Amino acid sequence: MSSTQHVLLSPAELAYLHASLSLTPPIRPDGRSPSQFRPLVAETGILPGTNGSARICFADGTEAIVGVKAEVERTRLAHDFDHNTFAAGSRLEGDFVEGSYAADAQVDAENVNEEQRVGDDDWVELTVEIPGYRDDDPGTVFLARMLGEALLADGEFARKLWINRRFHWKLFLDVILISPPLSYPLPLLSLTTHLALLSTRLPRLKSEGDEDPFFDDDWAAAPFIYSRNSSNSSSSSSSTTKDGKTSTTSRPPISLLVMAVGNNIIFDPSKEELAVADVALAVSVGEAPSAAAARGKDAMDVDTTTQDGLQRNLQILSVRTIDPPSRLTPPGVPNATNSAYGAAAVVASAQKQPEARAAESEAVEGVWKAPRGGARARVMAALVLEVLGRGGVADEVMDALDGVDLV
Amino acid sequence: MPLDTSAYSLALLRVDGRRWNELRRIHAQIRTQAAADGSSYLEMGHTKVMCVVNGPSEPGPRRGGVGGTSAAGSGGGGGQSKDAEVAVSVVVAGFSSVDRKRRGKNDKRILELQSTISSALGASLHTHLFPHSTISISLHVLSLDGSLLAALINAATLACVDAGIPMTDYVAACTAGSTSTYAANDESADPLLDLNHQEEQELPGLTVATLGDSDRVAVLVCESRVQVGRLEGMLAVGVDGCKQVRGIIDRVVRDKGRRMLQEGTVEKGVGLEDMDLD
Repeated sequence: MSSTQHVLLSPAELAYLHASLSLTPPIRPDGRSPSQFRPLVAETGILPGTNGSARICFADGTEAIVGVKAEVERTRLAHDFDHNTFAAGSRLEGDFVEGSYAADAQVDAENVNEEQRVGDDDWVELTVEIPGYRDDDPGTVFLARMLGEALLADGEFARKLWINRRFHWKLFLDVILISPPLSYPLPLLSLTTHLALLSTRLPRLKSEGDEDPFFDDDWAAAPFIYSRNSSNSSSSSSSTTKDGKTSTTSRPPISLLVMAVGNNIIFDPSKEELAVADVALAVSVGEAPSAAAARGKDAMDVDTTTQDGLQRNLQILSVRTIDPPSRLTPPGVPNATNSAYGAAAVVASAQKQPEARAAESEAVEGVWKAPRGGARARVMAALVLEVLGRGGVADEVMDALDGVDLV
Repeated sequence: MPLDTSAYSLALLRVDGRRWNELRRIHAQIRTQAAADGSSYLEMGHTKVMCVVNGPSEPGPRRGGVGGTSAAGSGGGGGQSKDAEVAVSVVVAGFSSVDRKRRGKNDKRILELQSTISSALGASLHTHLFPHSTISISLHVLSLDGSLLAALINAATLACVDAGIPMTDYVAACTAGSTSTYAANDESADPLLDLNHQEEQELPGLTVATLGDSDRVAVLVCESRVQVGRLEGMLAVGVDGCKQVRGIIDRVVRDKGRRMLQEGTVEKGVGLEDMDLD
């Protein structure tokens, strides 16, 4: 779909752009540095009828809105055997009474609260809507899967939707691209989803244990799905857990679009830059449950004080190759084989199939040729370093997103 | 929950506290989106709609989309005709209503909305100036609380104004209803202006759109049963409401135009003093 959208550039222009992007340091058409992002406008809480919502406008004019809706759904118990023991027990004892059931549940809720929390990927439904495209367009479906995959990758997110053993929240994320898809919309949709989830609140649970859920109707008391003090997230998550075994991430993952030209890695590519990409990758980065938190609370406190609690523990959740539009660009013809430039010895068979010949011929300096093959290991290694490094790109983006007021 | 209309006769106030001839708050913005040729955002009460207009442009397989061309209503002819095609696509967001409900693109109601808007605007836009081209209007419903068609038409009009597509006049739309249900068969039922979702569910209603300041009706859609005797009153109230809506839309356009002049978005050379700013 949009990733393979044609940009009307001639082979000569493509070759020029490719050459300037493969310099060290690369020279980008808009003068940005390789890891610099374009400015964007973001706001959250725009739709009072939703549990959480956000809107982002990118500098190139593309705009997306995400709304999150939550519904209470009954959990199918037969699914998980671990927690079925209770239900099985009740079936064996014929004279099982409601009172002991509730009491048992309460005891359970007291001590196994954290381990009991299980999540199912089915609890999150993500749909992407792009104007002018069918709902079942392969590109749209792929985008939706990619966004959903990153979200569920660490298994933490679905666990947040657990209410009790009988009920859970079902979260519907509707991603709408408002503008026409000018460039590949993955980073826009991902960042908008990220902000919408950060602003998502679920009503506060009033009931206890495995009762039918009953919620506080005071919206001001509703807690955020992702806790808000994200700057010292690791310390807060470690303090909430008793045994330090589990720690929850405090922000959803983000997916970034990254491209490589030669050995250069370029972030947030524009439409024109994407047209000469050797490789285009969608990289999903999330906050890992911090290793420091697992070591215990004392160690954690030391860590946070020494590093001002600013360090994030980031991890790459997924990397996917995206078919760049450069694959479909027409190749240039070098002077040596161009009969218009007096190349006399043009082989007769080659003349019959000029395209095939151009594709097979050796790369000539300054002549555009559509890139082939996947990402090289060296590029991937450099990419990981750039994204995850201290003060790296992911850190920078998350810092920037922290600046958005959550309503 | 059924709407309780019995209280209306006591204080002559509707469920949301309005009188019979009051519009809900209308708030509109134009030029909200930089990448599009024209764009607008419109709120009628809690109904919130965004509109993006692209074109007139060459009809391609991309613009309007593969399924879009066949699914969207078309006011003019196809790409080869003498008139520009007005392709409308309406996307109702899953989170727009109280209960999350996803509507497919081939939902019959949405198709009908698309073709109604397309023919209404196709009649007002000077499509004959742009042969072999397409004007694609995409509308996004963010929040839904009645008077959907009216809000969509108003938003589309605003976006077309922003896109600078020549048109005869504003197409301003509004809904009208009646205070008692069809079954009640109440002779003394009053007409109501601008129905919200609750009223729309229970009471007979119609959507009417007029062309500019005139009384010329461009769209009239009535999807409910109503005694013919009440229709005239409803229509009169609706047309009157359209005039109010037109005034509001017009003010939005003029305000934006004035601000653009003052902030220097338009070329210099046209002096502020030369132009008649109301």
